[in-house]
Amino acid sequence: MTDSFEQQALVYYDEPPVKAPPLLVVGPLAWLRNNLFSSPFNIILTLISGIVLVTGLASFVTWIVTQANWFIVIFNFRQFMLGRYEMGAEGRVILMVLVIAFVIGVALAAWARVPRGLLFLTVILVALMFILPPAIKTIPLPPTYVSAGDADIVSGSSTQPPIPQWGFIARAGETVELKLAVALSSDDAQLATLNSFADVGANFLRAAAATRLRDQARIDEITTLLATNLPNERTLTDRQRATLETELGRLSVPEAVTTTTALNQTPINWRIVRGTTFETIDGGVLQPDGAAVTVMLPEDGWYILEKDGSGTGLIESRGIYPLLERNFSRGETLDDAGDVTQAAGRFSEYVRMTDSWSTLEERPRIDGDNVPMAQIIDTQYRGNGTFSDWLTLYVGNFLDLLNDGILWIVVAVAAGYGVAKLADQVLPARGKARDPRIVSRRFSLWSLIALPIVMFVLAYGVGLGDFLPFTDTRRWGGLLLTIMLTMVGIIASFPLGVLLALGRRSSLPVISIASTIYIEFVRGVPLITVLFMAQLLVPLISPSLAEFDNVFRVMVGITLFSAAYLAENVRGGLQAIPPGQEEAAKALGLRGGQVTLLITLPQALRFVIPALVGQFISLFKDTSLVAIVGLTDLSGIAQTSVAQTEFLGLRREVYLFIALVYFIFSYVMAAISRRLEASGSGAARRV
Amino acid sequence: MENVIREPIIVCRNLNKWFGEFHVLRDVSVEVMPREVVVIIGPSGSGKSTFIRCINRLEEHQDGQIIVDDMELTHDVRNIATIRREIGMVFQQFNLFPHLTVLQNISLAPINVRNWSRDKAEQKGRELLERVGIPEQADKYPGQLSGGQQQRVAIARALAMEPKIMLFDEPTSALDPEMIKEVLDVMKELAGSGMTMLVVTHEMGFAREVADRVLFFDQGRIVEVGTPEHFFENPQHPRTKLFLSQIL
Repeated sequence: MTDSFEQQALVYYDEPPVKAPPLLVVGPLAWLRNNLFSSPFNIILTLISGIVLVTGLASFVTWIVTQANWFIVIFNFRQFMLGRYEMGAEGRVILMVLVIAFVIGVALAAWARVPRGLLFLTVILVALMFILPPAIKTIPLPPTYVSAGDADIVSGSSTQPPIPQWGFIARAGETVELKLAVALSSDDAQLATLNSFADVGANFLRAAAATRLRDQARIDEITTLLATNLPNERTLTDRQRATLETELGRLSVPEAVTTTTALNQTPINWRIVRGTTFETIDGGVLQPDGAAVTVMLPEDGWYILEKDGSGTGLIESRGIYPLLERNFSRGETLDDAGDVTQAAGRFSEYVRMTDSWSTLEERPRIDGDNVPMAQIIDTQYRGNGTFSDWLTLYVGNFLDLLNDGILWIVVAVAAGYGVAKLADQVLPARGKARDPRIVSRRFSLWSLIALPIVMFVLAYGVGLGDFLPFTDTRRWGGLLLTIMLTMVGIIASFPLGVLLALGRRSSLPVISIASTIYIEFVRGVPLITVLFMAQLLVPLISPSLAEFDNVFRVMVGITLFSAAYLAENVRGGLQAIPPGQEEAAKALGLRGGQVTLLITLPQALRFVIPALVGQFISLFKDTSLVAIVGLTDLSGIAQTSVAQTEFLGLRREVYLFIALVYFIFSYVMAAISRRLEASGSGAARRV
Repeated sequence: MENVIREPIIVCRNLNKWFGEFHVLRDVSVEVMPREVVVIIGPSGSGKSTFIRCINRLEEHQDGQIIVDDMELTHDVRNIATIRREIGMVFQQFNLFPHLTVLQNISLAPINVRNWSRDKAEQKGRELLERVGIPEQADKYPGQLSGGQQQRVAIARALAMEPKIMLFDEPTSALDPEMIKEVLDVMKELAGSGMTMLVVTHEMGFAREVADRVLFFDQGRIVEVGTPEHFFENPQHPRTKLFLSQIL
């Protein structure tokens, strides 16, 4: 019996085969189990967040589709994008956007490996942009309801007589369809669903019906409560019972509105006349049987619908849409011969809400008064809209605004991509051609410097006679101003920030102390203070500085502010460089400046790309503060547009829209930064 | 040795240096002749690295004299620049520039310090990569190479400046055992070509095979100097004996 182990050498000459890893792809159910329902705590968390997400999202989307009034964004779109930038100078901005698109195309060719899925998605989205608008146009626009007759309409304690004339604008060849809204006159429940454009009288009818229905429902509720209050099971206290009985005594339900007003029981006479000449286009009688008549309108301009009759009628019209009246003044325009081609003065422009078609033709007057028109303030879309109304009124309109632009942008991106690919193949690369995309990459890098200059020159002008005359910076606004402020802020603060960072690390005490004081001082005050200083204090220092445009002074303020933060970020990067790098460079004989420029700074900047992009994103958003010193950037325009009388109370729509715009730009910046980090040019290249 | 120049290329006289209160170099005096290979050994913290870093002024000596190629190292920036141009250095941690390709690492200094044309510098770079045995890695980034390859690039980078003297600061200490040999082979080849070399190392085999002279450092001073034969066969000082008994 021995317990000694036989010590034996083992040599493995057979190589085990190299195998593929086991298949670990699991189905969606397994994924759910592993990720969302893996533990009791996880299950609770999943359920809670699911409920919160679904309910929150559902009510949000419901609001977006059925209740929000997006006309404020559509009508003010130009202002949101450009502010009050000179009319007629938009071409420059369009050119600017196209140049940017071209450069993006080149950059895609030079750096990106566009994933197939993303490309596919983009193509689908762009295609949708072109398929959707025509498809949406086939959905009929919601009707406009107009009251008629000679009886006052009563809602609560106020009354409203129907208006005999109703002005509207239309284009040649368009048709107007009229009929009595018999579908709504059968009972109050139908009448209360009148959710569309409507004149005051029609809105009174709807409100009366809705109030009556509400009162009726409350009476039923109280009656049921009192009836169930049996003596042996007292569910109500005496006091509650008394309160309810008092309320019941106050509530009385009149007869149905459709009955009391004898809605749509009598014929209504109608006539459509030309707004300028008052000649009759067509006329007739609308019968209570609900038969429809259709009128073709001969030319662009104003028309008046005249209607009268006895009793109360409610006309459902298709082709009459509410208008927005805009007043403006302009100077006269001369042609080459010196003749006046366009007079100066104050004008009213009438914009049709549903498709933004506008006319300058004057509004007709009857007996010295402007004819009442379907005006947006009193004919706003009421109640809960339908999905198809949302599509026709808002989505289709908005896509119409974007479409031409998107087409050209896509073309420019594609052109940039194509030209870059071609150049890479055709042009011989200088030196050792180790990088097949060297030409496009060089161009792409240079465009980083050239693009901001081109953009600024296009927006501001060069002032060489008629060639790109200077624009008035006080008129800059909207997204254009936001981007200009951000861009100048980034470009100008970058070298300044790097110098400050190097200065703070300098061995010369004067430079390092001065840099430190500057950085700490600027970081110690809010941007608002800096902006106010640029605005109010700078002119005190020297009156000549006050002659600078406000925009430029604000740019200086933003630059000085941003540079301090940038300096700290860059300094962080410089500190992260191992000392061996500098030693190796010195040992090779490089001088101090060369060591910084060639070795430490390039590495430090790569290190801090995420921090820098984060800072640039916050700078982009911080520009919204310039609204306080009187510049109308994107958020400034938001403030002024919610103050427009036509659109009072539409804050949520406006701020949601600019939030979306800010988000898109910030997200793109963040995405580019992630790509930069992930690519070899980022910190990933470190040993 | 045949007809070498009699003048020493490096002269250190009574070198002293302190880190704060700590006396890190104590009266170090050495003369190195052209084409000589001097290997410096000693325990950690004995001042070997500090000593060779003083020679190209990565560390500043506080007392004594360093004369390289008839030029004294003082605060004069021009002297420092001239001397650094003549001395190449290889570090324990390689210290390659991670944001530049191998070829750019090598051609950077000739272009910016010697004002060579890019073509000439890259030509030289490729020759040197050939010499250290990795011509195919020219367009890679340092992060893509193994430690041994990186250290060979570092040697090529130092050689690109065509220095008269090469300093090696523990060039194989950060390497896997399998990669040490490829670096030592390059160094042996370099020594064979007549380069003046000062090598701080723990590779006793290399010292025995290549060194003309071995310096033993302990506590900031030179304890014993001698030929490898003397050093490894017949060390005299008790500290040297103790050191060698512990590592051999």
